[in-house]
Amino acid sequence: MDAKQGKNFDLSSVFLPFLSIIVALAFGGLLVLIQGIQPLQAYRVLFATAFGSFDGIALTLAKATPLILSGLAVAICFRAGLFNIGAQGQLISGALASAWAGYTFVGLPTLVHIPLALIYGAFFGAIVALVAGALKAYRGVHEVITTIMLNSIVIALADYLTSTPFKEPDQPLTRTPKIQESAQMPDFLGLPLGFFLAIGLSVTLWWMMRKTTTGFSIETIGRNKNAGWYAGISVKKTVIISMLIGGAVAGIAGAVETLSITGRFEPAFNAGLGFDGITVALLGRANPLGVIPAAILIGGMRASASTVQFEAGVAPELVDLLLAMILFFVTAPLLAKFFKSRKENVAMTSGWSN
Amino acid sequence: MKLRSIHYLPLAFVVTFAYFYRQDGLVATSVLYTAIQFALPLALAAMVGIMCERTGIVNIGIEGTMLISAFTAFFAGAILQNTGRGMIVGVLTGVIMGLLLAVMAITWKMDQIIAGVILNILAAGVTSFYYRQNYSIPSTLDPIDLPVVGAWPILGPVLSFHGPITYFGVLIVFTLWFALYKTSWGLRSRAVGEHPSSADTAGVSVTRLRYLNVTIAGAVGGLAGSYLALEAVGIFERGFTAGKGFTALAIMIFGRWNPLGAFAAALFFGLTQALTNQLMIAEVVEIPFQFVTMLPYILTILILAISAGKVRPPAAEGIPYEKEKS
Amino acid sequence: MFRRFTTLVVVTALTALGFATPAKAASESDCGTGRLFCIGLVTDTGKVDDKSFNQSAWMGAQMAAKVNGGFAKYIETTDPKDYAKNIGQFADKKYNVIIGVGFLMAEAMTTAAAKYPKIKFIGVDQFQGTAVPNLTGLVFPEDKAGFLAGYLAGHLTKTGKTGAVLGTEVVPPVRYFGEGYRNGVAYAAKELGKKYPASKLIYHAPDNAFNDPAWGATTAQQLLSQGFDVIFGAGGNTGNGALLRVAKKKGAYCIGVDSDQWGTLPEARPCLVTSAMKLIDKGVAAVVASIVDGTDKGGNYFGAVGLAPLHDFAKKVPAAYQAKLKAVTPKVLKGTIPTGVKL
Repeated sequence: MDAKQGKNFDLSSVFLPFLSIIVALAFGGLLVLIQGIQPLQAYRVLFATAFGSFDGIALTLAKATPLILSGLAVAICFRAGLFNIGAQGQLISGALASAWAGYTFVGLPTLVHIPLALIYGAFFGAIVALVAGALKAYRGVHEVITTIMLNSIVIALADYLTSTPFKEPDQPLTRTPKIQESAQMPDFLGLPLGFFLAIGLSVTLWWMMRKTTTGFSIETIGRNKNAGWYAGISVKKTVIISMLIGGAVAGIAGAVETLSITGRFEPAFNAGLGFDGITVALLGRANPLGVIPAAILIGGMRASASTVQFEAGVAPELVDLLLAMILFFVTAPLLAKFFKSRKENVAMTSGWSN
Repeated sequence: MKLRSIHYLPLAFVVTFAYFYRQDGLVATSVLYTAIQFALPLALAAMVGIMCERTGIVNIGIEGTMLISAFTAFFAGAILQNTGRGMIVGVLTGVIMGLLLAVMAITWKMDQIIAGVILNILAAGVTSFYYRQNYSIPSTLDPIDLPVVGAWPILGPVLSFHGPITYFGVLIVFTLWFALYKTSWGLRSRAVGEHPSSADTAGVSVTRLRYLNVTIAGAVGGLAGSYLALEAVGIFERGFTAGKGFTALAIMIFGRWNPLGAFAAALFFGLTQALTNQLMIAEVVEIPFQFVTMLPYILTILILAISAGKVRPPAAEGIPYEKEKS
Repeated sequence: MFRRFTTLVVVTALTALGFATPAKAASESDCGTGRLFCIGLVTDTGKVDDKSFNQSAWMGAQMAAKVNGGFAKYIETTDPKDYAKNIGQFADKKYNVIIGVGFLMAEAMTTAAAKYPKIKFIGVDQFQGTAVPNLTGLVFPEDKAGFLAGYLAGHLTKTGKTGAVLGTEVVPPVRYFGEGYRNGVAYAAKELGKKYPASKLIYHAPDNAFNDPAWGATTAQQLLSQGFDVIFGAGGNTGNGALLRVAKKKGAYCIGVDSDQWGTLPEARPCLVTSAMKLIDKGVAAVVASIVDGTDKGGNYFGAVGLAPLHDFAKKVPAAYQAKLKAVTPKVLKGTIPTGVKL
């Protein structure tokens, strides 16, 4: 749907989301007001922290980076008519694998070590997704079941590996050793390097979806499996490819977190990123470029939540309330109808009916 | 009906059970009893999904529906000092969540996955934001000793002494199965889920039926939430549904969108959880606990991979109905 | 469209005006001036009203603030990757003492202590391998509390079957509590000359390990229906779920964890014979007191552990057992009776 919109550019497609966010904030404010808290003060702190200074922006982008990637992981699968609830498990697998590559290989130059660790992350993220993809393609096992089950399996497996074979020696905690200095992702122009990588991947996947046969196959089976079959597209192969792409991207999300933020793998540190990815993908309308602003918005709110609590005394759940409101007003046709916009409200996910 | 490998499972189960019952009757019945308890919230939540999806509405907001219903059920029960009234409030909250989903998915024709995600995030945010300490309900919904059944050998200790919502939940499962396959409401519902335009031509109001079913499903979700807060534990904590609403989606698909199938799938999953615990109690295996706790998930995937066979969800699922199109 | 837009802007603006009232004066502007003693607390991922260790630590911070005429404030962490940032919020406002709760924060605290040498840090559950002068690790010998709980359990059980419903094994305090409990039961059995099977430790799967009370309840039910009659619940809400289920079974005992759960979980009173406590609140207050009078040296501060009062069960538990428990307690706490838990 987005491909067609680009041609006759419609002001409302830019203007409406912004307006929706403002209305969402107003309604979110009402919910906060019930608690006897001043929403304006909270919002001022929220946005000043997230977007009001260079450091704030850098932190927002660092938070947005894994969200862009896990959003992409979910979005690409949505395009193929697959619901990848397993981004969380794929992300954890990638985070652990890259940590292993990061601390095991010694003496590599940075230019080799970082890409190598990222490849490990992508590979092991893809492996997890491959299980779901292959079972779907060859045994007809629904990906919603397998990805949910695989999340729990991967979390338990990562927990075991980090508590026994990969554990940092001579200390009681469940965590891997720290990665070598050569594997630490640096900043680029003061901004996290991973962010540029995420943008690069978004653009690449956007291009792939529009210009390559793989992208065409994914879009086609996403719209209608039978049509894909008639067009001579191998549905099995395409299902597996989409899951592999999704898993690899989610794995890279985990790898970037390990290599630039946590510096090691510790089970609790990657909680929730994969599930936020679903929200990001939906807010970005399952468009590889759309996930970028969605992730920056959510990343900014997550980045400043603790400052809002510190300065305005509002509990960090404020972010969840606002997220629900924003998702609601951005996607509900209320405002569009208000402006008599003729834009049809098109469903972009096919649930699991495909 | 074609006999598939999955149909041998019950047989394998009975043989295994008989073997263990001879070893230790108390443990064997206790595992089955526990399996039912693990299964119930999943089964109830799966019924929510089935009711919605059979009429063509995807509902991934089950987790949120359960969480917020548990919240209102608990706090209403605590404030009114009446557990029964708390349950009514919980069920009504579920109805409201169902209506909310219906408005978004049916009237506004929003993307149904988004609508469900909105319910989930909203519930997580609201329940966490407005949570308060130092409330307690006067009493939990206590287990009932079934009069005749309780005295039966073997089955007695398995089936008796569950809570009221558990028994009512099982009743819902069978009623829903009967209603879906043996009544005209069920026929119309399934028709709307498969081919809404034909159903429309035949004089069924697609919108009204979908509204009705999604709302009733919401009530069942409210009951599932009330179960957690009022019967299973008697407290409310933030996020304490712990992903059960999502596992229920897997259970629903595992059971092929059939109430009895989903119930069986939930029982299977509950049984694997009870067995996982039993492995830790028996301490027979010297393997790390992480691997033991993976058992339910691995077995589910394995069973599905072996039994295979394509599952086909209701055809019109996820697609908003446009009258003009027909 | 324009008119509708104006309407909306006006409505939004009016709503906004309704929210606008002057912000309250920030009382922490006096922190670091010497005029006000400021204590900041950063929670482990979770809330200060979690009925568990975050709550105990926050109560300790409030107690300390009250005693020293100071001011206490908290930040609730939602993402472990924010630990450093949240600590930094307090540090930048020149708080005198910053408390970080939970072993996950250990690394961030060490880094912060080096970065802000003038501020004193308290790390709850953070063992200090190498002593840093401005960072005190408040740690607890949980195995001893667990051992005492097990000792009492070993005396109370009639069937000889005891168990524990726990969070995940890889969280050190949980394992210490659980294994201490098991060894305490064995010690009591030996003393009584009985051959009880080893106490069973049931762990939740690693995800949602501390927030699945329904699982805890059902698991406790499984144990109860197999004749287990003393159950130790240690694992946040998961453990609480177990206690609540045992409370419904006549004649069964349950043992709580961390704080005296007679107060924090009154619903469990029918079975709650005692709780294996680690007194985080008192420990925090004590470390802050040592900071105030300048006697703190960093390194580790071993907080107090022990069993909570038996409350109503003081009448039900045989006096002989209570006397034995009283006799054993100091020996276990001093270490003359080893708990046998590998730390």
